[in-house]
Amino acid sequence: MKPSDEFELNAFVDGELSADQQAEWLEAMRADPELARQACELGQLKAQIRLAYGSPPQVRRRNADKVRESWRAVAASVTLLAVGLVSGWLLHAGNPGEKTANAGRFVVLDADGRGQAPAVAADEETRIVFHLTNADQTVAGELLDEVEGMLNAYAADGHPLRVEVVSHSEGLDLLRESLSGHKERIHQLAMRFSNLTFVACKNTIDRLKVERGIEVKLIPDAEVIDSGVSHVVKRQREGWSYIRV
Amino acid sequence: MSESKTNLFGSFGRRRRLQRQIGAERDRLYRIAWSWCHDSYQADDLVQETLARALAKVDNLREESRLQVWLTQILANLHRDHYRRTQPETGQDTDLLPSRDDPEEHADRTQLITRTRRAIGLLNDDQRQVLTLVDLAEFSYADTAMILNVPVGTVMSRLSRARRRMREILQQQGIGHADVVPLRRPQ
Repeated sequence: MKPSDEFELNAFVDGELSADQQAEWLEAMRADPELARQACELGQLKAQIRLAYGSPPQVRRRNADKVRESWRAVAASVTLLAVGLVSGWLLHAGNPGEKTANAGRFVVLDADGRGQAPAVAADEETRIVFHLTNADQTVAGELLDEVEGMLNAYAADGHPLRVEVVSHSEGLDLLRESLSGHKERIHQLAMRFSNLTFVACKNTIDRLKVERGIEVKLIPDAEVIDSGVSHVVKRQREGWSYIRV
Repeated sequence: MSESKTNLFGSFGRRRRLQRQIGAERDRLYRIAWSWCHDSYQADDLVQETLARALAKVDNLREESRLQVWLTQILANLHRDHYRRTQPETGQDTDLLPSRDDPEEHADRTQLITRTRRAIGLLNDDQRQVLTLVDLAEFSYADTAMILNVPVGTVMSRLSRARRRMREILQQQGIGHADVVPLRRPQ
């Protein structure tokens, strides 16, 4: 069979021919059983391939899931801790006598109690760590909106602020060269605000390498710390406010 | 923030709908990805990356009816850029065997699946991709050409060679051929 005939026989089997061409081939097959056999064989091969790949094996993630769950448990307790701390400080903040002692920790209400611009003593720096564990780039985008708005507001008011975005577990995607949907934006923010840091968790990077053979390449604006969880816990001990995303 | 959020949610009804549709394509993309690399971890990564990219670039999709072609194009590009060059062409891959919980009465079917997967594993990357895009994913030649960024004539010649090679390999493997597949990544 000439290559062009072979191409066309394939096209016949794949339904790529016009009605006229199909009729010609059907006619030819009636006259030539060998041709009919070849067409039939091609049709069988198609069916065989669909069968072979209909239900491919899925990733066995039991270990990874366990790890993820334990991260989740740690993060949940960290969140509870944060909520406890914040409520504590808010309650204390209501007492004028103790206000000085708590200045610079975490107070979200402004002087009028309206809650937009965080109220801190003018000489105290507000420090916030955002803990990103979500791979959804829309959520990450909203986080960046939040961070940018906050940095702008503080800069406008002349209040000192430091912000860290710690990306960990699935949140690491934000800082991965191949996956981040916000590379350029992060770069611009990092250039504009020296008080903003993007931090990647090395444990997560190592885990991806060991478990899934992925060599993670980070965007240039990311810094690396050993453990995302230890880092946010440390930051809380140092008095940073913690917000999990 | 609240203003940007309002804009975000107000003007992106299309975006939300597409995001849902993109999520619903996961299984289909996984089947294609797995047929290319025969490795569940790699296939899963490919699909994750494809979905992440698609979600980030969803506004670039002009015709919604072309969603499947567009997604598969992203998958093919990622496969070409990140995986093909790093993987040695072994022809024998990790999890070629169908899952072990297949009932014994399906031994013939299981063997057929194994033999077909192994034969596809012996094709070169170009032939394997064209064959699975046409036969498994059921894309037209024109869509396959677009996904792989090659002319339609190239799709036809690769397909033709791939099927000829498949027939040769399958004919060489008689029934009762020992199904011994080396595992590249022991667990």
